[in-house]
Amino acid sequence: MYKTFIIIQREYLTRVRKKTFIISTLLFPLLYFGLIFGMGYLAENSKQVLNIALIDESGYFKQTELDQENAIDPSSKVSLVSSKATDVLRDPEAAGFDGFIRMPALDWQKGNDSIFLESKKSYGSGTTSAVQAKLNRIWNRIKNDSLSIDESQQAILQMSQLSIRPKNMEDASANANLAEVIGYIAGLLIYFILLIYGSQVMMGVMEEKTNRIAEVLVSSVRPFQMMMGKIIGIGAVALTQFLLWIGFVFLIYNVTKASGNNMSAASEIVGTMQEVITGINMPLILFCFGFYFLGGFFFYASLYAAIGSAVNEDLREAQSLSFPVTMLVIISIALMTTAIANPTGPIAVWGSLIPFSSPIVMMARIPYGVPGTVPWWQLGLSMLLLILGFLGTVWFAAKIYRTGILMYGKKPSWGEMLKWVFRKS
Amino acid sequence: MSELLRVEHLKKYFANQKAVDDISFSVSEGEIFGLLGPNGAGKTTLIRMITGIFYPDSGSITFQGKPFDPIHDVRHIGYMPEERGLYKKMKIGEHALYLAQLKGLSRTDALHQVKQWFERLEMQSWWNKKVEDLSKGMSQKLQFVSTVLHEPKLIILDEPFSGLDPVNSNLIKDEIHRLAKNGSTILFSTHRMEQVEEICEKIILVNKGEKILDGTVGAIKQQFKQNHFRIGIPAPTEELLRHAPFDLIRTSEQQQIVQIREGKSTNDVLRYLLDQSIPIHSFEELLPSLNEIFIRLVGDTPAARQFQIA
Repeated sequence: MYKTFIIIQREYLTRVRKKTFIISTLLFPLLYFGLIFGMGYLAENSKQVLNIALIDESGYFKQTELDQENAIDPSSKVSLVSSKATDVLRDPEAAGFDGFIRMPALDWQKGNDSIFLESKKSYGSGTTSAVQAKLNRIWNRIKNDSLSIDESQQAILQMSQLSIRPKNMEDASANANLAEVIGYIAGLLIYFILLIYGSQVMMGVMEEKTNRIAEVLVSSVRPFQMMMGKIIGIGAVALTQFLLWIGFVFLIYNVTKASGNNMSAASEIVGTMQEVITGINMPLILFCFGFYFLGGFFFYASLYAAIGSAVNEDLREAQSLSFPVTMLVIISIALMTTAIANPTGPIAVWGSLIPFSSPIVMMARIPYGVPGTVPWWQLGLSMLLLILGFLGTVWFAAKIYRTGILMYGKKPSWGEMLKWVFRKS
Repeated sequence: MSELLRVEHLKKYFANQKAVDDISFSVSEGEIFGLLGPNGAGKTTLIRMITGIFYPDSGSITFQGKPFDPIHDVRHIGYMPEERGLYKKMKIGEHALYLAQLKGLSRTDALHQVKQWFERLEMQSWWNKKVEDLSKGMSQKLQFVSTVLHEPKLIILDEPFSGLDPVNSNLIKDEIHRLAKNGSTILFSTHRMEQVEEICEKIILVNKGEKILDGTVGAIKQQFKQNHFRIGIPAPTEELLRHAPFDLIRTSEQQQIVQIREGKSTNDVLRYLLDQSIPIHSFEELLPSLNEIFIRLVGDTPAARQFQIA
């Protein structure tokens, strides 16, 4: 135990003291928030006004109504143009427009589904649908007038809607929209940790082999202690980085709350976080996150350690050998997307039980509510299977590691590595 | 001297090769013991079993009179492998401390030992340097210190001089002798026979996983001597050689290398030369080098050729 602890200590301290750790820990949240604020800023400040000519052959549209609508949604400006304005048809840009719509003769009872916004540049569906909504509001009024519906009736028609949202009977706090967001974030975080820190374990083992320090070490400690020391040490680094980020988020939350800042984005974050904290079962999610983070990390890190011990200095060898393992992580993310859309479907259930994908898939399901969406037996079974799973991979990896760490020369295949595992020692 | 290590009928087979095939020997306390053999003879595999890295397929290892226990006995063994390295990014002092602690020393004991050794080998100023800034000789010195820091009873050195310049080689040689004098036992593995003749008292010679011979260096040489002598006389005439009790092997102006004939003694040779009134400047027995003995034993195999080049 003492020796394993000494190894953990070294693995942890050498990594945490590195400049790259400090920089990446600070930079990641800065980049993340910078991206959110930056995108908001860009969206706020770079709105271009789309100038569109409307050639109305139907005679329904009037400039005064268009002006009203232009004032409500300033992202585009639609102006009536005479049908004889052939210069607009030929070259709208030369005539001062971004594009034009030729409105054919219309029957108000039927409408028309082949009207085009014609332009020299291509516009996306977002732009066209804004213009479409604008013209449809006028079109609705025209229909209402034709049907002699007055304003109060119109309001009823507009306001009276049926809205259906998911509500969990067992867990009143479950909030599907919020669950989706939290599920995504938790699943993705575990995904990143598995890939980034898993490959760190692999590189660390490779380093020991290339440096030729492996044999010096195995004469003092068991290979198993060496491997576990490395895995736990690096896991602790991941956990540290994580706690720092959580601390960082809470710091920002408290600072923005205290300063009473009225910046829209900042207050939005505070609002969302309050909703998150009060809206879901935070202690359970945090506990499960910790569990699946550790379980998943042990599961994959031991496999990566085994690969690191089997290859030589060549990074390409490591990549080709680790491809199947990395694929498992990527498949898990694909399963997670399905599980978020349908958290009680068979893919979600199986994905959250099988150990290789359960850390990611189960974390995406839990925010939907326990025991509502995820029954207790599923959570319990998933945790048990994950524990068995990582005990299995640790055992498996230790066998490969023992042999691989002192083996130089040709890269072994997965078949040869399996032989190392199953031969008697 | 009591026995520290006994190896009996040790075997280790890998998939398609007998790495160690029924090797037995014993090492006494305070001895400098040489493990000799060409590359691929099974020396490293043998050492890995003695250090607990490999389990033997069969046979037994006795350490300090008890069956070898890899978990506890490694505390008393210091092993410097042939493939040795260090963490490049670590500071030298910390590195030495780390390896000492992995041997089971507490941090205080480790610190005390490291300081003492750094002082003796004049390495104190290195403490805060990084390993990657060391020259090859300096890092070898650090590796040697790391091997002996925890005062092991058995020190195993696999090719300790490879890559060292003569100054550092001598420094390590002196340390080996000093450690042996203070009671440590040293198992010294190499394929360089001439180094063994200088340092070791007893040796075991292995080839292709098998023991070829063992014993003290002096006894082995006596056993394999071929009655070769170097005599300081002028080049002999044919007339002289016709009735001489020896055959001429090599000749030069002032020195003759001869082999004494069966049934004759050195005194017969001297008497014959005196009778012929030939002035004798010197008379000396030539013992075979371990190199020659090895080549004679294994014949003209690739393993033997490896030595002739060395």
